Amino acid sequence: MSTRSPDSPPLPEPGFAPRASVASHEASARSEPLPMSGAKGAPLPLLAVAVLGVLVLAGISLLIGVSHVSWEALLAPSENQRAVQVLVISRVPRTLALLLAGMSLAVAGLIMQMLARNRFVEPFTAGTAESASLGLLAVTLLAPGLPILARTAVAACFAMAGTALFLFILRRIPLRSALVVPVVGLVLGAIFDAATTFFAYRFSLLQSLMAWTTGDFSSVLRGRYELLWGAFVLTVIAYVVADRFTVAGMGEAFTTNLGLSHPRIMALGLAIVAMVTAVVVATVGMIPFIGLVVPNVVSLIVGDNARRSIPWVAVLGAGFVLLCDIVGRVVRQPYEIPVGTVAGVVGSLLFLHLLLRRDDRVG
Amino acid sequence: MSTTPRRFPTLLVALIGVAVIALAVFFARGPRAPAPDPVPSEGAAAAPAPGAGRTIAHAQGSTVVAEHPKQVVVFDLAALDTLDALGVDVQGVAGEYFPGQLAKYADAKKYPRYGTLFEPDYEALHAARPDLVITGGRSSARYTKLAAMVPTIDQTTDDAHFVDTVVGNTQRLATVFGKEEQARTLVEALKQSIATLKGTTASRGKGLIVLTSGGRMSAYGPGSRFGVLHDTFGIPPAAPSLKASLHGEAVGSEFILETNPDWLFVIDRDAAIGEGGGAQRLLDNELVHQTTAWKQGQVVYLEPANTYLIGGGIQSLRRLMEQISDVYAKPRQPSAP
Repeated sequence: MSTRSPDSPPLPEPGFAPRASVASHEASARSEPLPMSGAKGAPLPLLAVAVLGVLVLAGISLLIGVSHVSWEALLAPSENQRAVQVLVISRVPRTLALLLAGMSLAVAGLIMQMLARNRFVEPFTAGTAESASLGLLAVTLLAPGLPILARTAVAACFAMAGTALFLFILRRIPLRSALVVPVVGLVLGAIFDAATTFFAYRFSLLQSLMAWTTGDFSSVLRGRYELLWGAFVLTVIAYVVADRFTVAGMGEAFTTNLGLSHPRIMALGLAIVAMVTAVVVATVGMIPFIGLVVPNVVSLIVGDNARRSIPWVAVLGAGFVLLCDIVGRVVRQPYEIPVGTVAGVVGSLLFLHLLLRRDDRVG
Repeated sequence: MSTTPRRFPTLLVALIGVAVIALAVFFARGPRAPAPDPVPSEGAAAAPAPGAGRTIAHAQGSTVVAEHPKQVVVFDLAALDTLDALGVDVQGVAGEYFPGQLAKYADAKKYPRYGTLFEPDYEALHAARPDLVITGGRSSARYTKLAAMVPTIDQTTDDAHFVDTVVGNTQRLATVFGKEEQARTLVEALKQSIATLKGTTASRGKGLIVLTSGGRMSAYGPGSRFGVLHDTFGIPPAAPSLKASLHGEAVGSEFILETNPDWLFVIDRDAAIGEGGGAQRLLDNELVHQTTAWKQGQVVYLEPANTYLIGGGIQSLRRLMEQISDVYAKPRQPSAP
């Protein structure tokens, strides 16, 4: 660990980060920040409102499903054993899983954006999720009997290797435009995806692959989601070391100037992102856009200081996934629409809105 | 002033012109819509023995087929299953995985491969020039392209009239290969066992069909891909509102709990294609444990490859029925399988 506390130097707002002082290609790699308002710190009451909103959504999530569960039924548990059972076995785990996955994926997206110094990347556009699912496929083919923890560990290793390759490529190629970074990520992701599809096709696993990679919480029950707490722990770690990511987000030279080890921070961030992605993909599948949209929305509200934005990103990420899953459960009751599908639709609309709004400001 | 009256007719003329062209295109395309007809006749011209052919009607039109086709390539496991039952030898198959009763076709030296069930190897087919190609189910989408090359018949089954189409397909193959006698025996036996099974299922409680794949579940109802259990075998549906759809409806364990079937029929898709299936692991949970099906040990794991992969063959249908007859014949067990 580095010797100096990262809190000590007064941090400039990363949006207006160093220009000439940073090596030239690194400076050009930095994407333009999305327009920021109120960057000087968000009022805490607003965060409390957001937390309250997520709690309300969680309450709704507890009451929605095929079985009849209502507050009245829960208040008279002796007569409504079934309702209490369903709540404990199915609803609470599902709601917790949604909260945990939402929080950790959104924060992973934020870290990813800081490490790649670009606002358009997230685990699902940078090859992380694709390499994780390649890892899962490899486990399924080579060692189908492995317990979920081991499967996840293998997926995490693949995800780490994939993401490291992404960051390595980014360092090697001249980045003339902010859009090159996500394009590289998408290309790399597509290559992993092609490999996965090839093997899945050869072994007639295409449909299973589809099923397990589409984000879906319908199989979440007590005893089948607990791994997601691991992702939560990683998110907490990310919060603890948040300032380091803020600094790393300003470039290698800047980080080194502050006496921090840039490679170490990169490795830590990489590990967190890869493990979170692997855990989420292995337990509930892929949920696209959340890591992209949520951090960008949050940067509009509170700016780019990681310590300040991580709570926001976590809360809004949880809310986003909760809302998508509630929609997916309600639209076709008693059947479900996977959360991955809903998040894809909602997330892409939100993202388009963000992009267009940005043009408005510029033009 | 003068431009307004002139522009209006111009616009009108333009509109009429567009309308005429549109109508012309519409009607010019109209009569061509039933495409399969002209295509097979083209294929028929390629048939080796002119005059010796017969017109065979099938799921996607009709085709002139040589009297006794010798070189036969099959792109459908159900058709392969039925041909096997009829005692017809084939010269080429597709795909990699030949489960259960079809195991002998896995010998690639004896039965050369012409692509996969989804994607024929057109070049190999072109070189081999078989007398007859049979498509169905997964390969039926390639019918038109194949029919333009070689005489092709399509054996796709209709989920809404499953047994009727299986019988029709068997009779069609029997006509093509002159195996009417064998077909009659097979169909009679099939109808008899359907009648027997129907008598035992109706009063034994409601059933729910669930397919598992990659850790997710989907439910199937009457008229669906596996609806034959309800429609023909007479098992009352536990969730009659399930609409027919190819890939079922995504459901969770809560749905099974609320539907509370007396019989739970499980098709483990991943096991069907030879990968370690996780259906038992998926269903072995506290919610499913509360259903009547679980408590009475009436969770039936249908032979996955037979049900999912082969499906509409006459042997596979018999095997499916035998499996269900067996579980209905057994005395009730207190614990789960």
